[in-house]
Amino acid sequence: MFSRELKALRRLDPRQFLLQALNYAGGMATTLMFWHALCLATNCESPVVVVLSGSMEPAFYRGDLIFLTNPASERYHIGDITVYKVPSQDIPIVHRVLETHDFFDSGVDQQLLLTKGDNNPVDDTQLYGGLEYLERKHIVGKVRGFLPYIGYVTIAMNDFPRLKYALLGGLGLLGLLQRE
Amino acid sequence: MARKKTNGPEISTAVSPEDSASASPPSPDRPLGPLSLPPLPPTHDIVKVNTMNAVELKNACNDALKRYLSRPGLFKQSYQHTDVRLALGWLSVFVAGGTGLYGYKVEFEQSKPVVWVGLILYMLLTFTQTLYAYFIEGDIVFVGKRKTFSKRIITERITLTSRTCPVSFPPKSATVSKPTDKSIPPQYALALSYVRSTSANKSLLAKGKTQAVAPYSQFFDADGKMDVAVFERWVGELVEEGMDGKDK
Repeated sequence: MFSRELKALRRLDPRQFLLQALNYAGGMATTLMFWHALCLATNCESPVVVVLSGSMEPAFYRGDLIFLTNPASERYHIGDITVYKVPSQDIPIVHRVLETHDFFDSGVDQQLLLTKGDNNPVDDTQLYGGLEYLERKHIVGKVRGFLPYIGYVTIAMNDFPRLKYALLGGLGLLGLLQRE
Repeated sequence: MARKKTNGPEISTAVSPEDSASASPPSPDRPLGPLSLPPLPPTHDIVKVNTMNAVELKNACNDALKRYLSRPGLFKQSYQHTDVRLALGWLSVFVAGGTGLYGYKVEFEQSKPVVWVGLILYMLLTFTQTLYAYFIEGDIVFVGKRKTFSKRIITERITLTSRTCPVSFPPKSATVSKPTDKSIPPQYALALSYVRSTSANKSLLAKGKTQAVAPYSQFFDADGKMDVAVFERWVGELVEEGMDGKDK
């Protein structure tokens, strides 16, 4: 079935093979660098996240893709939708800001925030793992925009890891055999 | 038409080989051109491509060209352009990989300076690659050198560039438009520049620049099989023209 492709592989000499492997590796490198550039530009460690729970319905549903920024000089206001990560947990949470307390701490603007999911009956104090309020440094970013349903690809790949490997493997084979 | 150099007082005062810069009779110093070598039996599998894909057609022609001109007895291929592209490319991949790994291991705020450095380095490398490919490499497909010895060491250097001329239509005349005016199929345009000099480029013996255009249909049949013999003969003729010092 793959005889033609296998013949094409055997015909490659080392330089040709390196060139085509470079095509594939170079593509991955470009994507990675774009991601890092985006992280630096938005000052956000994860500028694109997928909504995993339904705690923000009807604003965001599970599977939505949301875009974040985190300008260093920005103060957050009541009503902003933020993504935060509590130190004791790994999973970022997308909820709305309910209360803000602004103060000055040794020359730096500081904020204490309280959040609550739109679809939750109570605020997030229970989720803070002992803290009473969130600090500015726990916030990953503020939501600027979203795309519905796109995030389901990521959810599927996380729930079915074989799909991820199949996709990467298929792309790899394609990159090695085609020439531009 | 080869002139004999063994005559004594009868040596003509005609143009000597060292003076030839444009079309001249082949000198005895002229090394063998590709057409004078017997055709090798095909050592390679039959080349079969998708005739609808102009990129595949061009790549097949380029590959056949490289195989033909780098066979023993003809030129030795210089891999400088390929090696530079590989070096810059793989270096940028490693920089990207290192930056990615560092950003993954170290927490975001702390990692920012190093990631900035990695990003700038990557952009510089990519920019250099692009500039090199556009300005220095261009359309070059094959760069070859050959050293032959006949009374003195003769160095030859040949550079070939190729590109595809896309489908074109003959210009419509204002008065008559014949129904037989057909479009010209995609063509393979090959240009070469050739220099022959004595050892260490001390004196120039011959210089030529030629080019030729042929439709792909001349080398590929409807199934996509390449007629390598026809292609090699076409290339050989062009190279011999260049070696004779013609300027086209």
